[in-house]
Amino acid sequence: MTSTRLDLGHGIGLRTTHFAQFLAERPPVDWVEAVTENFMAPGGRPIAVLEKVRAEVPVVLHGVSLAIGSVDPIPERYLAALAELVKRVEPALVSDHLCWGTHRGQYLHDLLPLPYTEESLAHVASRVGQVQERLGRQLLLENPSAYVAFKDSTLTEWEFLAELSRRSGCGILLDVNNVYVSARNFGFDPLEYLRGIPADRVGYFHLAGHSDRGTYLFDSHDHAVPAPVWALYREALRRFGRVPSLVEWDDAIPPLEEVVAESRRAAAIEAEELAAPLRRLAS
Amino acid sequence: MTLAETQALFHEALTSTDQVKAERLEACFAGTPELPAAARVAIYADMYRYRLIDALRVSFPELVRYLGDETFAALAEDYLARHPSEHHDVGQVGRHLPVFLREHPDPERPDLAELAELEWARQEVFFAPPAEPVGPEALAGLDADGFSRTGLQLSPALTVLVQAQAAAPLWRRLEDGEPPDPPAPGPAAVAVWRSGFEVFHTSLPLDEATALAGARAGDSLAAICAAFGERDEPASAAHRALSGWLAEGWVVGLRR
Repeated sequence: MTSTRLDLGHGIGLRTTHFAQFLAERPPVDWVEAVTENFMAPGGRPIAVLEKVRAEVPVVLHGVSLAIGSVDPIPERYLAALAELVKRVEPALVSDHLCWGTHRGQYLHDLLPLPYTEESLAHVASRVGQVQERLGRQLLLENPSAYVAFKDSTLTEWEFLAELSRRSGCGILLDVNNVYVSARNFGFDPLEYLRGIPADRVGYFHLAGHSDRGTYLFDSHDHAVPAPVWALYREALRRFGRVPSLVEWDDAIPPLEEVVAESRRAAAIEAEELAAPLRRLAS
Repeated sequence: MTLAETQALFHEALTSTDQVKAERLEACFAGTPELPAAARVAIYADMYRYRLIDALRVSFPELVRYLGDETFAALAEDYLARHPSEHHDVGQVGRHLPVFLREHPDPERPDLAELAELEWARQEVFFAPPAEPVGPEALAGLDADGFSRTGLQLSPALTVLVQAQAAAPLWRRLEDGEPPDPPAPGPAAVAVWRSGFEVFHTSLPLDEATALAGARAGDSLAAICAAFGERDEPASAAHRALSGWLAEGWVVGLRR
């Protein structure tokens, strides 16, 4: 499966509270990401809005319920709904998370971490193959924020993602905030994480805010992107070059202008970082 | 541990009402002195409950208003223990709450099941497939023969509830921030539909609900009109009802 790095630019997550304003004002964003499951219903306002937005800017579908690492079979009902939405929206990219989240038919509605073992790797790679074959296109998987790790893990998360991408052909959605949050929660070096991810597999970046809960960082998406995440984003740009970015804001959602400003800041930082070697050369 | 065993233990830790022993968690999950394994797993257990109860709050805002946050959360915990989510859309987790409330009625407000049923119907029609309504001219020119051979296609974004107790008055009082009246005796019928992207509901006479159920089942216009046979003036009652259905956009085509 061909790896995809589209030149999408810098986007924001499309949220219900911004629907009307987005359509009326057409804010200066290059693309939007839509949470797949929120648009699977055949009717109502969400899908109608998404189709209007899609006519103006590229849309990426980003799922939360695929549960690619669950031992449960992937429900046919879900795959059919996903395939139908992909056909309807014609998204630029399709992504979900490296996680599990169902057990014996029950949905836990969370992005639960996997033990990073050979067994998990073989299992997830096989299921990525199943999804990619069903959709006829590449799937990108996002590194989750995590609060717990497993004693049985034999690989780091970055080793697991890199090998998964190599075996299955999936792309990587690198969530810079999640790298930072997990690095703090487990005490690893986020730069070592970035160095372990193959540059040609990264399709886009996520940027978001988190909360400090004293003994751990929580991936809350209820803040502006904090300074340490911007700093890690700069490091990621140096490592991976020009990569599309997406600002997520899911709780305590501010006015649309504020989210757009975060996305413009990502664009400005990218311009600075990618221009820097040329400036140094000229001086 | 195998992947299956790991996920079974994690699932148990998230959903079990009995606390999973810390030794079992520590055998599987890695912790630190500042944040032991059991405390790390508890972060996920809290999120599981929070996320699902929050989804139920979104689906049943008037029920939350009636019960208050704390009582609603306790009800939600009992409900989720019996009816965990079986759908990829977390917004679907409340689909069994009306039946659960019917099986476990509040002695003071046995009509809460009907209130939940009405709220769920409002959510369902919001996401129902779109369909273009036909205008009032659709029935013009049908003769008696046409009436016996023609039926109606009703909008997929219309549902009719026949309830043991009327929920619509209670919904109205709660929505307006007024103290609720005592439970309204039934049976009572209510139509719930979407127009554009807005959801509406209105009380209906029982015979009109029967006529709509017949229309949905494929009855001819003649049979639909016969549902108004007990009225003083059945023909004009049927005419008024059909005109209303067309005006509200409930009819999206004819069956011939």
